[in-house]
Amino acid sequence: MLSIIFVWLLIAANAVCYIYLLYRAWTRVPRRDIFDVVPFLHPVDSSMVESLLDPAEDYSLRWRLNRRAFREAQLRRMRVYRELVRRMSDNSAVLIEFGRARLSSSDTSAPGLASRLEDAHVAVQLYSTLARIRLSVWLSLPLDRFGLIPTPDLARLRKAGDLDGLKAYEELKAAAAEAFAQLTPDELETLTRSL
Amino acid sequence: MNLFLRYIPLGLLALLLFHMLRNRAYKVCPWFFAYVVFGVAAGVARFAARLAYNHPGTYFATYWTTEAGYDILGILVMYELIRMVLGSMARRLWGRLMFPVSLVAGVGLSLSRAHAAPPQFSGIRYYIVVGEIAVRCVQSIIFSLLVAMVPLLRLRWRQYAFGIATGFGGYSVVALLMTTKFSDFGTRFRFLWGWTLIVAYSLAVLIWIWFFSVPQKQDPKPRAPSTEELERYQAMLRQYLDWLRRMRWRCFL
Repeated sequence: MLSIIFVWLLIAANAVCYIYLLYRAWTRVPRRDIFDVVPFLHPVDSSMVESLLDPAEDYSLRWRLNRRAFREAQLRRMRVYRELVRRMSDNSAVLIEFGRARLSSSDTSAPGLASRLEDAHVAVQLYSTLARIRLSVWLSLPLDRFGLIPTPDLARLRKAGDLDGLKAYEELKAAAAEAFAQLTPDELETLTRSL
Repeated sequence: MNLFLRYIPLGLLALLLFHMLRNRAYKVCPWFFAYVVFGVAAGVARFAARLAYNHPGTYFATYWTTEAGYDILGILVMYELIRMVLGSMARRLWGRLMFPVSLVAGVGLSLSRAHAAPPQFSGIRYYIVVGEIAVRCVQSIIFSLLVAMVPLLRLRWRQYAFGIATGFGGYSVVALLMTTKFSDFGTRFRFLWGWTLIVAYSLAVLIWIWFFSVPQKQDPKPRAPSTEELERYQAMLRQYLDWLRRMRWRCFL
């Protein structure tokens, strides 16, 4: 009986996947040009990410503030970090769309560069998805109430799914700089500054 | 059933093989290429065995041997798909676990299904049928996982890996559905069962043809450095080490 239920669940899941793929086939992905890449990018301050993920900062706050003030400070830092992670994810998506449009039409060493960019994109997306899930759970829980769930350290988010978030994003930036080396120096400068 | 209609998938597989050869897709997905080559060879072998009216055992043996071959290659293709989609991420722990977990789930589901509604076969054929249902389950699970990754990781779905998964996923769902209904309705369902599976497999091959009709770029293999380049790197490294040594002594002085 249980096996039949699982088989039907599998059939239903596959049907949903087919509907989704048909929807994707129906809708078109915009072929981004350099002019509609930069306005969609949101700069991510690496030093701010470093400071948010610094274990010493967590320790210092915990030591200096009382429990209530520490929880408020951590919630504020979590919201800031969630915004930064969202920016990383969005930037990665914009870059990969631009990369796919640009590198699919060029020749020479493009496949290697495209695959490096794709790998870096997958790493950033995976990290940001897992980090955002954890942040959403933390932000939705009544932290430090009744002594049940202690306020977590933000430094625990440095790694998610076996991936270092900041390192993954730096690799994406490096891969993008390498992949778009054919842009004019001004365009490349604008692009990298917007990351 | 009309002999011509029964072999429509064979013709479509031959067309797919032509597209794969033309676009050098065998470099991108070698196991799927092996699956298609095997599919064409198995179709031809079954057709030839069917013509040997005097030896019904030949067709019987050919059919079940090729079914087992389809099962093994079907599983290998699924392993290849995960590696293709995840790229370097496939080396991570969760990437390495994805295939074995799907395989265990598929085999478990097939065994419990066989326990609830045992196939009407005995001996090696029993295991082939159970294995076939397990392969269909694994293909459905991996198809669902890969499609779930498209919105989550914002992947490009128009690539060979997703084409292969979509074809297998669709065919597996129909095969699982038909097998479930077959055990409910019994042998009076046989005619519809046969036809539906042929149509579903033909649709799967059409999906593959659609995906493989355009070339996909593959990663160039990294070039090994030449002897001169290695010597140059070695000399640079030696210079750098000398400089470090001198700097160390300067610090002490």
